[in-house]
Amino acid sequence: MQNNLIKISFKLNGKQVESEVLAGMTVLELLRRNFRLTAAKEGCGKGECGACTIMLNDQPINSCLKLAATLKNDDEIISVEGFNEDKLMNNIQQAFVEEGAVQCGFCIPGMTITSYHLLQNNPNPDEHAIKQALSGNICRCTGYRKIEAAVKKAADRRHE
Amino acid sequence: MSNFEFIRATDIHSACSALKNPGYMAVAGGSDLIVKIRNGMYPDLKGLVDLSGLEQLNQIRTDENKVIIGSGCTMNQIVNDRLLQDYFPVLTKAAATVGALQIRNSATIGGNVANASPAGDTIPALYVLEARVVVTGVNGSRKIPIEEFFISPGKSKLEPGEIIEGFRLLLNKTRGEFLKLGERRAHAISKINLAVSTWNDGRDHYRIAMGSVAPTVLRCKEAEEYLENCEKISPEAIARAAEIASNTARPISDLRSTKAYRKQMAGVLLSRALNKLIQSA
Repeated sequence: MQNNLIKISFKLNGKQVESEVLAGMTVLELLRRNFRLTAAKEGCGKGECGACTIMLNDQPINSCLKLAATLKNDDEIISVEGFNEDKLMNNIQQAFVEEGAVQCGFCIPGMTITSYHLLQNNPNPDEHAIKQALSGNICRCTGYRKIEAAVKKAADRRHE
Repeated sequence: MSNFEFIRATDIHSACSALKNPGYMAVAGGSDLIVKIRNGMYPDLKGLVDLSGLEQLNQIRTDENKVIIGSGCTMNQIVNDRLLQDYFPVLTKAAATVGALQIRNSATIGGNVANASPAGDTIPALYVLEARVVVTGVNGSRKIPIEEFFISPGKSKLEPGEIIEGFRLLLNKTRGEFLKLGERRAHAISKINLAVSTWNDGRDHYRIAMGSVAPTVLRCKEAEEYLENCEKISPEAIARAAEIASNTARPISDLRSTKAYRKQMAGVLLSRALNKLIQSA
């Protein structure tokens, strides 16, 4: 029985896809290895840093902590790559660039996904709400000021 | 970490049967379990039984004068539930402090309890609400008062072949506070946490529980009785209750905090929680 591959099917960035996975494979490994979607990164591998954040059914999760085998037919995963044509995401990404919020870039896919979820649910977040929302995303290059400023800018720009 | 079998449970009975086999463990959100497996904590792991597809575990429902919270409900599901916010704010507040947003979307209340960590944040909240743990195995269910569920850190009364199906709470409107101290204000494991709930049915009732101050979460009955016998919750009464809580705590020093700090903070947190309750009354 052991080492058997498990068949899974789920929706990935808008398309129903299938794959075969080992029991211990995480969603992060699935995206990076089987689908070559490398935006989500493994930082800590234990749910502390948020570099692996993806959307599962419109909610941000740590993809390093979810087993690929637990994905179900009607589950929908969106990684940063799936937001390429999304206006709100493009707005967030532009604001990150303009505010100098990106340095090494490792945390940015996770940061932008969490920011996207925040702005979807709270179009006018104050400083506290932004900090609270991003508390599961760690950046080790800079402080968080520029990242917070970028999220604020993206929010303000939506209302222009 | 792939050398094990993976079983998608389709019903509770077959899940429990599979879990009777040595080396088989249940997985729901996986936010703790996957890290532990990766760290090599379960060298004898033979199989995982995935409970996440069992719809009846993922629901919050009422049954006459009771609320049943399915063990598979995520922290965010609890945080955002109107009924729970209204009746058991201590629980929604506790769930809101678990991990960060991403963790709260995966981590389940059943997992938090099954882990039996003295620092588990929803546990003191379930204590003060006097929840009963519905434990189900192949031969049916038994209900265990949450206070009797834990044996020691990491150990509970859950037997091989059993799962936590959910938590039963008496549908009783309470007010409550949950406070915790960690290394940072968000996304931290508690050095100490404290839950208070209160309700009035002609007279005031108080329930108080603290985590990370003993091998299992502690009820603080002496402070509860003291407050229930106070004419008025004056600053002096709060100070006395805080002193009692501090004396009740019997913490140790470990990697997260020290004995002295935890003991003192037990009183500080109770005092803060009571003040918040008075202000919001």
